[in-house]
Amino acid sequence: MKVSQVILGILALAVGYGLSTAKMPSTEDYKGREKIKFWHRWGGEWEKVVFKIAKEFNESQTQYEVVPMFVTGSGSETKFILSATGGDPCDVMSIWNGGLAPLAAADLLTPLETLMTPEELEYFQTKTYPSVRQSGQFRGKTYGITIGADLFGYYVNADHLREAGIDPDTPPKTFADLVAMGKKLEKKDANGNLHRMGLNAASLQTHGYAFGAGFWDDKTKQLRLNTPDMIAALTAMAEQRKGVGFQNAQRFWASQNTGSSTGAWPFIDGAVSITYDGQWRVEEIRKYKPDMDYRVWPIPPPEGGNPLPGSIGGNFMIIPAAAKNKKGAFEWLKFWSGLTNPNRAAKFENWGGWIPLSPDVAHSPTYEAYVKQNPRFQTFIDILDGPNVHAYPPVAYLGFLIDELQRAEDAALRGSKTPKEALDQLQKNVQKELAKRKEMGFDDSL
Amino acid sequence: MSPKARENLTGYLFISPWLIGFLVFTLWPFLRSFYLSFCNYNIVQPPKFIGLANYQMMLFNDELFYKSLWVTLRYALVAVPLTLFVGVALALLLNLNVKGIAVFRTIFYLPSIVPTVAMTSIFMWILNPQVGMVNRILALAGVTGPAWLSDPVWTPWTLIFMAVWAAGGSMVIYLAGLKDIPQYLYEAATLDGAGAFRKMRMITLPMLSPVIFFNLVMSVIGTFQYFTQAFVISNGSGGPEDSTLFYALYMFKRCWKYMDMGYGSAMAWVLFIIVMISTGLIFRTQKRWVHYGR
Repeated sequence: MKVSQVILGILALAVGYGLSTAKMPSTEDYKGREKIKFWHRWGGEWEKVVFKIAKEFNESQTQYEVVPMFVTGSGSETKFILSATGGDPCDVMSIWNGGLAPLAAADLLTPLETLMTPEELEYFQTKTYPSVRQSGQFRGKTYGITIGADLFGYYVNADHLREAGIDPDTPPKTFADLVAMGKKLEKKDANGNLHRMGLNAASLQTHGYAFGAGFWDDKTKQLRLNTPDMIAALTAMAEQRKGVGFQNAQRFWASQNTGSSTGAWPFIDGAVSITYDGQWRVEEIRKYKPDMDYRVWPIPPPEGGNPLPGSIGGNFMIIPAAAKNKKGAFEWLKFWSGLTNPNRAAKFENWGGWIPLSPDVAHSPTYEAYVKQNPRFQTFIDILDGPNVHAYPPVAYLGFLIDELQRAEDAALRGSKTPKEALDQLQKNVQKELAKRKEMGFDDSL
Repeated sequence: MSPKARENLTGYLFISPWLIGFLVFTLWPFLRSFYLSFCNYNIVQPPKFIGLANYQMMLFNDELFYKSLWVTLRYALVAVPLTLFVGVALALLLNLNVKGIAVFRTIFYLPSIVPTVAMTSIFMWILNPQVGMVNRILALAGVTGPAWLSDPVWTPWTLIFMAVWAAGGSMVIYLAGLKDIPQYLYEAATLDGAGAFRKMRMITLPMLSPVIFFNLVMSVIGTFQYFTQAFVISNGSGGPEDSTLFYALYMFKRCWKYMDMGYGSAMAWVLFIIVMISTGLIFRTQKRWVHYGR
């Protein structure tokens, strides 16, 4: 046999294997049904979860067939905008809720109330978590409903704490206590390089809600970017980072795998003792390191601060204004989100380790059984049930605002600006942008 | 139809695929973007004419516009001459008549055919501050390597380093130029007693100057459009601390993330003017240093 034949054979086997492992639901089984084109951003292991849910939907149906399509995350919104503008979008798409308001402001999305029956509308308005519901709303209308929201908390390596003589079952009372705890857990090599990070405090957005009213006031619809409580929050985070050493922390993080959708995660590797991360990590730990002993704590507020702070992020289903099969799309949305059968939806939420839309799902037998099996998840349910969980500001310039917020946090945590300078600059930049948008004729009304 | 007209028609029919492509996908968007630069346009709703507001805002009220311009210029000022020098130097070396030269040429050319995203991803591993190959080698010499991709002081140099690594593409063009230099010029110079350095200064470089000129112009244009590596390294943010916020990346964010295509179009036109002026200036200098052998 010639070498070229061997190579061709190997290639053919590789292609065959690739095709055989792609478990996309076959459309052959559902001939004659109306198709629902569903775009999502879950690749790899996560895509299998999407396929499982799609399979259940298709098997429950006689009229519709959902066809999932992975659209890579970084360009997904661009693709959506182009397809929607061109008049040939998908029927339904799962997007990050931070991208929802700008799309709604551009009239690209269908107000979902128009697809609900009066009973469904009543249920949606009264029986869903307010912060989760509001995360999909813009100018009083609902443009997105979550099929798996996210909340963040501090993941704590219990073994590391015990090594340092700290009881992992006694959470710190204040943020200062957490910082002190982190300092004890830190390890450096002979050259002073950080070998293990004790505490990784991140997300000014959520820490702001622990230290005060946060960066957005829901009631007055005002931004609060450089208020004393925001400065206090960023100062606490920056001081903690300064204690580690700005340069040292920077080098340490640059060498870590900080991808969000992989089992290789600095916390799971033991490189960080306490880190701030999303609730889906509970499911990842269960899969990749089931014997890991860890805890999840909410952000401990400072004295007089707000307990159980949270900021809703995650995956929201939207239906384009130009979608061809809106009814089918909404059926799919209801099926996954739990608007129709909360206990069934609880199973889907557990597969992905997600935060659900309604207390009916969160307190369904299936979901409660999951939390019982994975008790660390309870912290996220506590945050969700608490009074201090917030939606993103429903503003058309949200993309700009989040970018600027991250720039300010980054500058302070690198030590290149003081927290006050960083937040004053943030306030200045946002005001300038708003003035620009006003002059250009953008509609930023709320 | 006269034979001349018939001949013209046949010619146009033959080039029509390209012609239609050019008109629809290049000329029309080019002209349209000029109009859009005077509009408030969010891609979805019809453009609304707002006169010079985009340009005024950009030139007098947008700090990031100047920052991104500076990031791009700074990169261009170092990367263009450096890659040019490395490309010429490599070509001179690979023009030597030594055993296995074809293998060396292939090795040095290979980096330029690696897809940009793949190359950037590989560099992100090679330059990992703690486990990356570069810092490990530096550590053997007792040097603590920097955080190449997360320290704003070092990120521009990292991108320049990557550009130099991929200088093989221009090297091949220089090599072709070197092969085109008549041998008799060197023979005559040898008879006149010229040494290797003098031959390079008086024959090689002048004869190669049209190729250097071509590569210079193309590099300058390419540098002003620099995008992919910065996008991959910073995950589209332009960080750390705006150190990779290249002009094209900022323009992309304005257009697609902030849905402000009018402003993005204005930025594109400012870029076009900058590129035209830069290219024009290079063209004006060519009389002094480019020799066409006439």
